[in-house]
Amino acid sequence: MVKWLKAHHPQVRIVGSGHTIEIFKEVGLPANVYDKFELDDAKGTHIIGHTRMATESAVTTAGSHPFATGADLCLVHNGSLSNHNRLRENLKREGMEFQTENDTEVAAAYMTWKLRNGVPLKRAMEDGLSDLDGFFTFLVGTADGFAVVRDPIACKHAVLAETDDWVAMATEYRAIAHLPGADDAKIWEPEPSIVYTWGGNA
Amino acid sequence: MNELDLKKDGVTAINHRLHALPENTNERHWVIRNPMGQHAIACGLDGPLHVEVHGHVGFYCGGMNKDAEVIVHGHAGVGVAENLMSGLVWIKGNASESAGATGNGGLLVIDGDASSRCGISMKGIDIVVGGSVGHMSAFMAQRGNLVVCGDAGDALGDSIYEARLYVKGKVASLGADCIEKEMRDEHLADLSRLLAAAKRKDNPKDFRRYGSARKLYNFNVDHADAY
Repeated sequence: MVKWLKAHHPQVRIVGSGHTIEIFKEVGLPANVYDKFELDDAKGTHIIGHTRMATESAVTTAGSHPFATGADLCLVHNGSLSNHNRLRENLKREGMEFQTENDTEVAAAYMTWKLRNGVPLKRAMEDGLSDLDGFFTFLVGTADGFAVVRDPIACKHAVLAETDDWVAMATEYRAIAHLPGADDAKIWEPEPSIVYTWGGNA
Repeated sequence: MNELDLKKDGVTAINHRLHALPENTNERHWVIRNPMGQHAIACGLDGPLHVEVHGHVGFYCGGMNKDAEVIVHGHAGVGVAENLMSGLVWIKGNASESAGATGNGGLLVIDGDASSRCGISMKGIDIVVGGSVGHMSAFMAQRGNLVVCGDAGDALGDSIYEARLYVKGKVASLGADCIEKEMRDEHLADLSRLLAAAKRKDNPKDFRRYGSARKLYNFNVDHADAY
């Protein structure tokens, strides 16, 4: 399908593919974007929300997160990468394609390239710690879970909360505070350079 | 005792209520419920109030505090008690990054762990952490005491000036110009006072002291060419 679309309708921008994960992107107030895609009616096991404060490229729908990193995989990023231009050129030579000048798209392409070459997701994220320069907290959504990693000096905030019923990750606790039972959840900060995973595919 | 519901009133209204209290108020004991991880809760207090927060607070709780006691029965987000001037901020749970950053005075107690950069650029504050602290703690610390009853992460005391660091557990690594120093009687007395203030039962003799080698921030004529 992805290949067919590219061949017959090159003007169509593909933001994601697979059977489980749907990716919605739009420029505007988060509440409006939420309403536009009728997310109140969405059903599923896990969800990632990301509001971008642009630093490395323009505020456009294409530059919004998440970026797909393969079928049923997507990546959101808090931070900015400093070696994305060189890495983008290297990845182009490996056959990766890019739609924007965005740094996070390079990180997503890097993960996609690693995964295509058979590297497991956790290893790919660990390899990213040495190949991606800059600061980042990455969250990768998978078909049945997610994975989190922070750069070696943990430049960008992150907090995790877990109960018997759910697990949540956010930049700060106030995003989690509204979840049922959040007050009594186990709450901790992910340590730098350690990949945390939930779900079998992560 | 007066109760405030942050979920109902919002953080601005609650802080305004506390700030508006006259200097000699008899309404000194306040309880804040449903903090919902909001930022800047009980910030900028400048009177002898006793404020208890039940739940987890967001960034900068108790910041710039003067004279007041702020007790948090929960965890605290980034920059708790930043720029503390005097008084007390006590976190019964864990604290996030940069706890007590740039604090000038007063006492910050964290019963649990503190994350990275605890006591960054501290200028006279005393910090007692019951658990461990993360990497880059006491970075550029100028004055005051940081007591860690657990372990310290990498680069403890990097580029430190004259703050005193006491660690009971392991130190992953020391930062630039930070060295272990002799624990003299005056330090043991100081440490005993701080542990007692934080209601800790740890033995001061189990701690090691770290501080500045004073090679980085003192001008050395042999290094003149480097400028």
